[in-house]
Amino acid sequence: MVTQIENPVLEIHDLTVSYDQTPVLWNVDFSLPAGKLIGILGPNGAGKSTLIKAIMGLIPPTSGYVKIFDKPINDVRARISYVPQRESVDWNFPASVLDVVLMGTYGKLGLFKRPGRKEKELAMECLEQVGMTGFVNRQISELSGGQQQRVFIARALAQQADLYLMDEPFAGVDMATETAIFQLLRDMASSGKTVLVVHHDIHSAMNFFDWVIMLNLHLVASGPKSEVMTEELLRKTYGGKLNLLTKVTDLISKKEFNPLKS
Amino acid sequence: MTFDSNAFLIILTGTLIAISCGFLGVFMMLRKMSMTGDAISHAVLPGIVIGYFVSGSQRSLEVIIGAGLLGILATLMIEGLRKKAKVQLDASIGITFTLLFAIGIILINMFAYKVDLDQECVLYGEIAYLPIDLWITKSGLNLGPRITWLAGLNLLFVGVFIYLLFKELVLTSFDENFSSVMGIPAKGVNLALMSMVSYTTVSSFESVGAILVVALLAVPPATAFLWTKSLNSLLKLTAALAILISVLGYYLAFWMDSSIAGMMVTVAGGFFLASALIKGKKPSWFKGTPKESKPLGI
Repeated sequence: MVTQIENPVLEIHDLTVSYDQTPVLWNVDFSLPAGKLIGILGPNGAGKSTLIKAIMGLIPPTSGYVKIFDKPINDVRARISYVPQRESVDWNFPASVLDVVLMGTYGKLGLFKRPGRKEKELAMECLEQVGMTGFVNRQISELSGGQQQRVFIARALAQQADLYLMDEPFAGVDMATETAIFQLLRDMASSGKTVLVVHHDIHSAMNFFDWVIMLNLHLVASGPKSEVMTEELLRKTYGGKLNLLTKVTDLISKKEFNPLKS
Repeated sequence: MTFDSNAFLIILTGTLIAISCGFLGVFMMLRKMSMTGDAISHAVLPGIVIGYFVSGSQRSLEVIIGAGLLGILATLMIEGLRKKAKVQLDASIGITFTLLFAIGIILINMFAYKVDLDQECVLYGEIAYLPIDLWITKSGLNLGPRITWLAGLNLLFVGVFIYLLFKELVLTSFDENFSSVMGIPAKGVNLALMSMVSYTTVSSFESVGAILVVALLAVPPATAFLWTKSLNSLLKLTAALAILISVLGYYLAFWMDSSIAGMMVTVAGGFFLASALIKGKKPSWFKGTPKESKPLGI
C-alpha cells in the first residue's frame, strides 16, 4: 500500500540498490510530503540504512533515481542534513562537543573559511535545543551513548536544512531522552521541515510518527500512520518475527508484568 | 661549550623534518592510516628513479613530481584493492607497497649504470653529511646546507596546507560520510593529504631515509595522543616531541658515535614506551565516570 503525493519533498522512483550484484533493495518507489515526521520501519537487514544512504548518494543505485525538492541530490546538498549511526565514527577522536556541532556549519562555510562567532552562536543554540549546553567544552570521548547521540542531532540542526535523514537516532538512548528528542523532531516537523527517521521499535513508532514507510527489501507500505499501521502490513514487514513482538506486548499489558519489580 | 654550527644545522634540519612528518602523521593517525604512510614512503621509490632517469639529477623537480604521482598511485591502489577487490586494508597495504618498492629496485638495477642512486641511500639516508652538501648560487654565494632549505620549504608547505584545509581535514577524518553528504569531497582531501605525505617523504629521504620517515610519521603523534584528547594540543605536543627527539637523538648519537637518524627514532620509541607505561598504569577509575546528563527539560 503506497500513497503517492503531489509535489513531494522526496521522490524515489524504482530504486534498486545492490552490494556486489546482490540487490538489497528492490524497486522501491514512493514519494513523501513536506512538514511530516516520517518513520522507516523494518526488521534487521531490511535495507533501512541502505535506503537513506542511497537517498544521499553515498551508495550509487543500480537503477532508478532519487529527486529531492524536485532536483538531483547534488543541487540541493545544502538543504539536506544527516545523522549517521552513532557507531559509524570513532568517539576517541580528539574533538570537543562544540567542535563536532560546528562541523554542521562547514557545508555552508565553503573552502578555506573557518567558523566564526556567528557559527559558534548557532552551534550553542543547537546544543541548547538538545539540552547539552553544559557539555560544550567536554571532549567527545567522555560522553555517554545518549549524549553522543544528542551531539549528533545538534550537529544536524546546525546544518539548518529542510530535510533531515536520521539513521537509528534512538539506539542506546534512554526513555526520557527518546521522548525529548521525539518532541524536538515534532517541533521541527511542525515548522515545515521534513524529518525521516530509521526506527526499529514499532510501539514508539505508533505514538510518534505522522507517516510510516515499511520496508523489507521491497517496499511494503508508505502512507499516513493511520492507514498503514495495520496488523496485516506489519505482519508482511516483519514476517514471523512480529508474533514474538506482539506476544511479549500482550504479556506485559495483561499481567502488568514488570521484570524490574519481580 | 662553544657553539657548534654543524650540530645546530643537523638538529635544526632534523627538527624541521620531524615536525613536518609529525603534523601530517597526526592526521594519518586520526584516519587510522599510519601504515599507509609506511606504504607511501616505500612506494615512491619507482617515482624517484623515473624522475631521476628523466632529469638526470637527484635534486630535480621531476624527482618530487615522480614521487608525488607514485604516492597518489599507491593510495589509489590501496583504496581500489580494498573497495573493489574486497581485500583487507592491511593486506592491500602490504601488496601495494611491496609491489611498487620491488619495481623501484628493479628500475634502479636496470639503470644502475647511469644513475648514482642505490637502495641504501633511499632507505637509510645520512643526516650527518648535511653540512658538506651546500647550496651555492651561481655567483658563488654560500647559502648553507641544501637539505636544511628543502626541509624548511617542506615545513612551510605542510603548515600552509594544514592551515588552509584544517576544517576539511578534521571533518573527513572524523566522519567521512557526513562530509560527503555536505558536498565536501572526502576523496579529494584524502588524495591531497597523501600527496603531501609523498612530497614530505621525498624531501626527507635524503637526510633521514624512507624507513625513518615512517617512524616520524607514526611515533610522535601516537605518543602525543596518549597525553591529550584535544586536537590543538595534540599538534603542539607533537611539535614539541619533534624538537626533543632531534636534540636528544643528535647528542646521543654523537656520544655513542652512531647513526643520528637511527638514534632520533630510538629516542622517539623510548618516549612512546615511557608514555605508554605511565598512562597504562593509571587505573580506569582514575578519571571517574562522566557526569550523567539530565534528561531534556520539556
